Amino acid sequence: MIVLALPDYDALPAPLWLLTVLHVLTLSLHFAAMGCLFGGLLTLFGARLPGGLEHPCAKRLVTLFPSLMAATVTLGVAPLLFAQLVYGRVLYSAAIVSGWFWLGIPIMAMLAYACLYAAAFTKQGVGRVRLWLLLALAGLVYVSLTYSSVFSLAERPDAQKTYYEGDASGLVWHPDVTAWIMRWLHMLGGTLTIGGFFFGVLGRRDEAARHKGQFFFLVGTGAAFLTGMVYLFTLGDLLKPFMKSAGIYSLTFGIVAALIAVPLYLKQRLWLSGLSLGLGLLGMVHARHVVRDLRLEGHLDPAAMTVDPQWGLFALFAVCLLVALAAVAWMLRLFFRADAAGA
Amino acid sequence: MPYPFWETDLGYGPLMAAIAVLHVFVSHFAIGGGLYLVVAERGARRRADLPRLAFLERLSRFFALLTLVLGALTGVAIWFVIGLLSPDGTEALIRTFVWGWAIEWTFFVVEVLAALLYYYGWRRLSPGRHMAIGWVYFAAAWLSLVVINGIVTFMLTPGAWLETGAFWDGFFNPTYWPSLVLRTGICILLGGTFAVYVAGGIPERDTRLSTVRGAGLWGLTGLLVSVVGFWMYLRVDVLSQESFREVADRLVLPGLATEYMLVATALLGAGLLITAVLLPRIQRRPVGLLLLLFALMGMGSFETYREAVRKPYVIHGYMYGNGQRKDRVEAGGEESLLERIAYRTGDDGRDLFNYSCRSCHQLEGYRAIKPFFDGTDAAYISGALAGVHVMRAPMPPFAGNAEERAVLGAWIAERVDTRPLHEIHPGVEGIELGRLVYSARCASCHAIGGYGDVRETFEDFEAEDIAEVLADNEMSEEMPRFSGDETERDALIEYILSWYEEDAPEEAPR
Ligand code: HEC
Ligand code: HEC
Repeated sequence: MIVLALPDYDALPAPLWLLTVLHVLTLSLHFAAMGCLFGGLLTLFGARLPGGLEHPCAKRLVTLFPSLMAATVTLGVAPLLFAQLVYGRVLYSAAIVSGWFWLGIPIMAMLAYACLYAAAFTKQGVGRVRLWLLLALAGLVYVSLTYSSVFSLAERPDAQKTYYEGDASGLVWHPDVTAWIMRWLHMLGGTLTIGGFFFGVLGRRDEAARHKGQFFFLVGTGAAFLTGMVYLFTLGDLLKPFMKSAGIYSLTFGIVAALIAVPLYLKQRLWLSGLSLGLGLLGMVHARHVVRDLRLEGHLDPAAMTVDPQWGLFALFAVCLLVALAAVAWMLRLFFRADAAGA
Repeated sequence: MPYPFWETDLGYGPLMAAIAVLHVFVSHFAIGGGLYLVVAERGARRRADLPRLAFLERLSRFFALLTLVLGALTGVAIWFVIGLLSPDGTEALIRTFVWGWAIEWTFFVVEVLAALLYYYGWRRLSPGRHMAIGWVYFAAAWLSLVVINGIVTFMLTPGAWLETGAFWDGFFNPTYWPSLVLRTGICILLGGTFAVYVAGGIPERDTRLSTVRGAGLWGLTGLLVSVVGFWMYLRVDVLSQESFREVADRLVLPGLATEYMLVATALLGAGLLITAVLLPRIQRRPVGLLLLLFALMGMGSFETYREAVRKPYVIHGYMYGNGQRKDRVEAGGEESLLERIAYRTGDDGRDLFNYSCRSCHQLEGYRAIKPFFDGTDAAYISGALAGVHVMRAPMPPFAGNAEERAVLGAWIAERVDTRPLHEIHPGVEGIELGRLVYSARCASCHAIGGYGDVRETFEDFEAEDIAEVLADNEMSEEMPRFSGDETERDALIEYILSWYEEDAPEEAPR
């Protein structure tokens, strides 16, 4: 006996372009926050400022880390939601194949977060601060590596099946290192770019800090550029279709915008440079998105999914988002306009 | 089944429960604690009560740490975990409610920022502005409950959505309002209880006593609101319907959880009244910790109850706990399950077990099924698979065809003890052996004096009649043919006949 037909959930609740825009936008914001955090940490350790962690700029950064972590996590939720909506089938199957590692992400993130708080609040001297920060850094490295492993596996459904057949216990780390190492290194370069940028902005009134920030910003840009090029050539068969896709335009745009950010930054035109960097990031994130679609060709075609838009709900979301942004702007204004002694 | 199955040695149930209870506990506290903080701040500012303000500042630090680190990330963790354990259910929820989640996310963004600024703003912001941010925090946090509540209650009572598939039908489902009142009460209760705990450590005596008393009253108010919510819950029509009642009666867990919940609530209520409101002198950290423990116990048993009465579904009346959709599986059907499994391990029996049983059972370990099948054989197990959905415990029907039932039956049989029961328990014979046979081969579907009782049927039977019943399988397609050996059969008959003897004891195997 088959019971009466129940509702399906195959349809996307909005046109694909809209979901893509939301995904790319929120993912770029997540990367930006993550860059300030992760890249900031890397820069801090690499910078060797006079006075080390006692340097005022370093101290400021350390107190900012917990909030940056909060921002990274919060801004990471939305892109994952939209990615899951469209790519859930391949994404979650990859996550299950690497189940234990995937489960480790929130746990390591939580530990890293706690360590960042400990570093910000500890009164036991610089040694302790360094220790907490190193632990947090280790946590973030874990999270980033796992994401690279799982997301690269998500783009390869056939490989997932093979690995799953070999081991169904969730202990599969994407064994094809070449599939994710350049991708991860490229992300690391990008992260360092943003981190160096952020560091230089924080330390703009301090010569040493400013120079260190600039240095790592440049190193990051160079590294991202090189690894990006290598990554591009590891695309192999996909390179041709990529060159013909919208991705090549966003990539070119991204590179140009990121390069424009460099002289602006060196001239201390921080707002303009930041804007340019942000636009560059958007371009790259879109290019990344296009590569995923190309790789999934023949397995999962988002464009072929049925769409059953829920416009009323989308409007409600849009209103809530605007109210939320207004609330955020208002609160930040209150906070930063207030003078430290209490108004 | 488009997803692979995660073969972890952890039980799915405990893993989910551990993370969910922790998150639910912290996130309710995050809402109620926020309200407590601003309201208490307002009072303290009015009275220019500096020690109290210092206490609130300390509390808000603890609060920010707990809600941001533990609250936010356990929330993310739940999402990660349900994706691993119940990918089909997660997909259904995300596809159906994506705008709900997205709206909740906008509140989440505001909530996180407000929590940070409230904590960092004690000295930096003017009192009015500081409290304004506190209110924004509370509003955003409570609004996220307003949204999430719709999705959580949907899983238990999808209501009209089952026919219309419309977002709002699923969202404002029959248990939406009772649950919102109940959970809001719990938020206030937890906020008060946490405050009692932290206030118990204030060094200044007067501040401590008055703060503890105020927080205690606050907690009791929350308790009252949640009792009202629970009462509303009990009056929801759907929940008193057959399907829920039956599950609640057939399983031990719902009743047990209800008892724990009542005991914990009573202890917490009495504890707050005595140690906080009446005798705040005795409120010290260990006492407060005990109160928190009662709260955790109450919360845990409520969530357990909710999960238990939803059996065997993840989304009631729609999708079973093993990810099979109710309208896609047919008991005793002809369709192949294996063909629908996208990720195969190369071992058909194992695949069938994973996708039919393993989200709720392990062979050994979590809710083990080996003990239930020890002393039986492949023929019995395959036969019982045709009737899993009529067993005492609420379970989904086996989603494969007859051939696959045989494959899975053989696969399980290889992993249990298939020796006859008189070999497993040497020396046991007669009625005692019969009792074991009944327990292994009949009791899953026919409890004595309970679910599926067959005592009346056998009332006037002679031994030969019973033997005949056991030999030919005419009772039901869902009932396995008797496949034990002769010794077992005779013992079973002897045991059944013993039910009707003069001084037969009232008994219930299992
Ligand atoms: C997998 C489940 C299952 C198992 C195991 C099982 N049965 Fe049944 N049995 C059923 C079902 C289903 C029915 C039909 C009930 C109905 O139609 O109300 C049934 C019916 C019966 C009936 C007739 C009931 C009536 O109300 O008239 C008897 C007697 C019976 N079973 C005895 C047994 C005995 C003895 C055993 C153990 C050797 C056993 N059953 C094992 C599922 C099972
Ligand atoms: C949705 C979850 C779920 C699924 C799927 C499930 N079960 Fe169960 N099963 C339960 C629960 C809950 C119990 C009751 C356990 C208890 O009372 O302690 C149970 C009990 C049992 C029992 C004991 C019944 C008794 O009381 O004697 C057997 C046997 C059993 N399950 C076999 C299976 C088999 C075989 C499968 C796969 C074909 C399966 N179950 C799938 C939830 C499930």
